Amino acid sequence: MLPTLTIIMAGGRGERLYPLTRDRAKPAVRFGGIYRIIDFTLSNCLNSGIRQIYLLTQYNSVSLERHLKLGWNFFNRELGEFIESIPPQYRTEDRWYAGTADSIFQNINLLEQMRPKRVLILSGDHIYKMDYQDLIAFHIETKAQVTVGAAEVPRHQASQMGVMEVDAKYRVKHFLEKPSDPPPMPGNSKVSLVSMGVYIFETEKLVRELILDSKANSEHDFGKNILPDMIARKENVYAYPFKDKNRKKAKYWRDIGSLDSYWETNMDLVSVNPEFNLYDAEWPTHTYQGQYPPAKTVFANEKEGRVGQVLDSLISGGCVVSGGRLERSILAPRVRINSYARVQESILMEDVNVGRYAKIRRAVIDKGVIIPAGFEIGYDQEEDAKKFSITPGGITVVPSGILLEKPSK
Amino acid sequence: MKKKLLFADDEPNLRILYKTEFESDGYEVEMAVDAGEVLEKVEKNTYDLIVLDIMMPGMNGIEAMEKILSKDKKQLVILNTAYTVYKDNFMTWAADAYIIKSSDLTELKEKVKELLGGN
Repeated sequence: MLPTLTIIMAGGRGERLYPLTRDRAKPAVRFGGIYRIIDFTLSNCLNSGIRQIYLLTQYNSVSLERHLKLGWNFFNRELGEFIESIPPQYRTEDRWYAGTADSIFQNINLLEQMRPKRVLILSGDHIYKMDYQDLIAFHIETKAQVTVGAAEVPRHQASQMGVMEVDAKYRVKHFLEKPSDPPPMPGNSKVSLVSMGVYIFETEKLVRELILDSKANSEHDFGKNILPDMIARKENVYAYPFKDKNRKKAKYWRDIGSLDSYWETNMDLVSVNPEFNLYDAEWPTHTYQGQYPPAKTVFANEKEGRVGQVLDSLISGGCVVSGGRLERSILAPRVRINSYARVQESILMEDVNVGRYAKIRRAVIDKGVIIPAGFEIGYDQEEDAKKFSITPGGITVVPSGILLEKPSK
Repeated sequence: MKKKLLFADDEPNLRILYKTEFESDGYEVEMAVDAGEVLEKVEKNTYDLIVLDIMMPGMNGIEAMEKILSKDKKQLVILNTAYTVYKDNFMTWAADAYIIKSSDLTELKEKVKELLGGN
């Protein structure tokens, strides 16, 4: 019997990251220049020795499928290992997934075929490092029906999340969705235990709960329906405060829930000592990278001020910073920054070309956008707002496919 | 009002047995010979309870149940089969009851009565 089958839910619309999610699913959105958001969850699986994975896809899955095919096709079926993506099958229902629980319910036949002892359910759009074997060991030890991975979040922030109130043994007493006064965790009055969207279920219990939920008038959501219902029935539900493999002072777990948090989480990576460590050889993050030439800077003509400069930034393969200046920014592959251009605190996706004398500040620029010479982004919010979306935090987001013209002055 | 039952079974003698017995218990009873006929009937009529055989020619009773529930998640369904093996199959767990077929209808009758809250 397969001890644990893993199902990653990667089918959400990702509306809050629009327009980055206009043409791609949220798990396929680039992060840190070379990665996709899904890489962090998949790397957790890989580093935890988890090799039986179904990935439930739905909206805009082309880019995600391509990434999986190019970057994650090394599991060996002959050894019983697999990562398989499953689009909605319309097996019995004539509709797409109604909620997280419904996405698993509609695929109960996969559970019947595999008959695993347990099912590990993960979200494909969070950034963290976790050894799922620790969670599984805790789950077995407590004889729980379901164990929920929990992040420790400052109480004032927790009021926007799913919070668990637990007893001394971490059995969950209440599951509260966005509580106004989040209860503290045992032994630390400053933080609350927040659901990470990581669940391990005994398979038979999971199937019974999904069927029960499918017949109820509910949103068919684990956090809103299944878990609160189980806890109300006094079922054995436990919270597992996750051990952070990131090994920094504060535990790191991020749900990239908005464009502002997307920008901030990326900007952390360019700081001198980032909260999220990409350099730990013991917990590598795997991805797909094309065969590009090394990143390059050219022109060192300091007399004329034509210097290719890269400061406090991450730059991917194939990039050329040609006489322009880059500060606190992240470049995906094959970006070009031309002479006298200046890019600050921005995230530029692959194939963006920044023309001479262009100035960009606090922006996210999606794939393939050509910034004309002398163009400015992030310096005049009123002007920017006529063409682009601007986040509440003041980040200008430039969608792919947009045609920009030189200012006529 | 009489409660309305729909039975699906490919075995003619069982269909006669179910009709006779349940009608004499005061139910309104309709019969289907296979899953296809069940789905046709469900399109047109409503039933308080549907009793499905599993092994039928063409579509089996489990698949028929899934299709019925996808249209009406509250529909009461009993799987009524000679085989015990399906009881362990997750796909049957959405049924309100799983009954092992017998010429003695006591268990089936009790379950129908229980699900319909007496009749």
